[in-house]
Amino acid sequence: MIMNIACVGISHKTAPLDVRERLWYSDDEIRAALPRLKARGLEECVLFSTCNRTELYAVGDSIATQIEQLKELLIGEKKANAHVGQDQLFAFAGIKAVEHLFRVASGIDSMVIGDVQILAQIKDGLSLAEEIGTNGFLTNRMFQSAFHVGKRVRTETLIGEGAISVSYAAVELAGKIFDDLSKKSALVIGAGETAELTAKYLRAKKIGKLLITNRTTERAELLAQRVNGSVLPYESFRQQLDQVDIILSSVESDKFILSAEEVKTICRQRHSGTLFIIDLGVPRNIDPATRDIENVFLYDIDSLNGLVDENLHKREKEIPKVEQIIAAELSAFTQWHTALEVHPTIIALREIAEQIRREEVEKNINRFTTKDRELLDLLTTRIVNKILHTPIVNLKNGQEESLTERLQKIRTVRKLFGLDPQTEERKDAH
Amino acid sequence: MWVYGKAFFADAESAKRWKSRLLVAVVLIHGIYLGVRTIEFRHPPATTIFEILTLLAFSVAVTYLFIEFRTKARETGYFILNIAFFFQLGSSLFIKDLLEVPEILRSNLFGLHVTAAILGYAAITISAVYGFLFLMLYHEIKASKFGVIYKKLPNLETLEKMSYTAVKLAFVLLGVAIVAGFVWLPKAFTDFSYTDPKLIGTFAVWILYGAGIIAKRSGGWTGRKVMLLSISGFIITLFSLTFVNVFLSSFHKFY
Repeated sequence: MIMNIACVGISHKTAPLDVRERLWYSDDEIRAALPRLKARGLEECVLFSTCNRTELYAVGDSIATQIEQLKELLIGEKKANAHVGQDQLFAFAGIKAVEHLFRVASGIDSMVIGDVQILAQIKDGLSLAEEIGTNGFLTNRMFQSAFHVGKRVRTETLIGEGAISVSYAAVELAGKIFDDLSKKSALVIGAGETAELTAKYLRAKKIGKLLITNRTTERAELLAQRVNGSVLPYESFRQQLDQVDIILSSVESDKFILSAEEVKTICRQRHSGTLFIIDLGVPRNIDPATRDIENVFLYDIDSLNGLVDENLHKREKEIPKVEQIIAAELSAFTQWHTALEVHPTIIALREIAEQIRREEVEKNINRFTTKDRELLDLLTTRIVNKILHTPIVNLKNGQEESLTERLQKIRTVRKLFGLDPQTEERKDAH
Repeated sequence: MWVYGKAFFADAESAKRWKSRLLVAVVLIHGIYLGVRTIEFRHPPATTIFEILTLLAFSVAVTYLFIEFRTKARETGYFILNIAFFFQLGSSLFIKDLLEVPEILRSNLFGLHVTAAILGYAAITISAVYGFLFLMLYHEIKASKFGVIYKKLPNLETLEKMSYTAVKLAFVLLGVAIVAGFVWLPKAFTDFSYTDPKLIGTFAVWILYGAGIIAKRSGGWTGRKVMLLSISGFIITLFSLTFVNVFLSSFHKFY
């Protein structure tokens, strides 16, 4: 049976951001688009959209010949024909479409290799389709397999390990210096985006005390609310520096906010030894000479970028392992799909009926005379064949039915008669 | 040691799986060897420097096993076992079968003295190894290098804590060894002298560790400085244990 699945979409690999954003669908837009897409002759469809990709998965008879039409639909729904060319969309059909979904779910197709958010975004896509009712037997199985790929990749490989953003790298580094962040205090100088992101990561790592200071106190207060921290007045934060273990600075300033001399004085006043300073400011906020002070670790954007690059390199080295998982899951999916074929189902049905017939005949054979035994065999075979005749004919016919209907019919028969090895009902009935 | 090295540097899965079991087996064999030696020669294997070295190697390995099962510092075995290996190498090359043991070495106080000293030295060794690992990680982080040391070792604070715990233990144990020694030595040796180089060496080490502990507790000494102190203590101890024993004349040697 040909896999009647296709996928069209746009991603960071096929188009730049200004084109991709033309095809970005909000959840509401997806809700509105799905029924219209299905009405254009698709049996099942799932659509998801992230900042780096928009993808439509469709199931239908002769779907492989409708690729161009699917692309048109995806662009047309957003009325983006003037901005997006069909050549900026990718397309896959059959098993290639399934493989593509697995690759996306694994994170190796992401802009940042090993991106952990993508799996949740795909799940959201399927949930929207379920809500509207455009998903189906085949897409469900395909997406469940993709989630399984994502899960396996994250537990069996290191593809998602190691910080790949400067802010997160800084927090990860703190974990390599301090044993228990819940007993430590951090001061965030600045209330911009980077400061906020790092403060959030620190909070997520259960930092004991989080202090925020900023030239504009209101912004410091807003950030403090968001990250559950407390505010220090900008004019007097230096007096509190001997109380903190981590200093994060991310402000715009022409001159250093902290000189090496000041840091030396703080170190003398501090009782516990190590001080970790993260300077995310450009130009730099902290005097680089601070790096030479004993038990002080100073990291600026460049040194953190080094850590990020290293982590990215490590993730790239995990790709072969991920590919292996994808290949294994793809093979399992293909096996499942092949099992849906009508022919094996009919054979299995005949075999099971014949087996029951034979067992029952053997059990009761002694009740019959030798003369009647041949007749018994003939009679029971005829009964079984007559019972199976109509179901088998109905299974074979049904070309006029939709793929989903056919698949569901096969599935029902397999389940009712316990034809799949994992089905235990048949054994129990014996 | 090779298996631990493979687990640490090459991240070999099979090495990771087998390293602990192999170490337990080696330690058991070593234990049996020490037991057989004690029975065969009718004295504990603590009478010559080389017997003491093999006992030290054994103590270090056993202590490490304890650390591996109880703490998060499971990746540090390679470094600690390196030390145990060199202790054992020194012992294996030179150990002699001493059949004639002076009567003085059969006292209970001697037993306490030697046991406390051996365990104390093992603790000093382990403290120094953690000190050394601390310094390696400290310099990697300072220099923004993120190699295998950065990836595998526990955090700086943990390493410092482990080294410090070992130092405290060493200080107590050496204290016991010294007190037992002072009670037992004048009784056992007619030529006992308070100016004996080994006595002075051990006492100096003990004072150094005591000063280190005080400096850390009340002087707020932390990090690199304390770790350097711990390593210096170990080097002085090693010097006292080998150089003094081999080259200087002392009443405190028996072969």
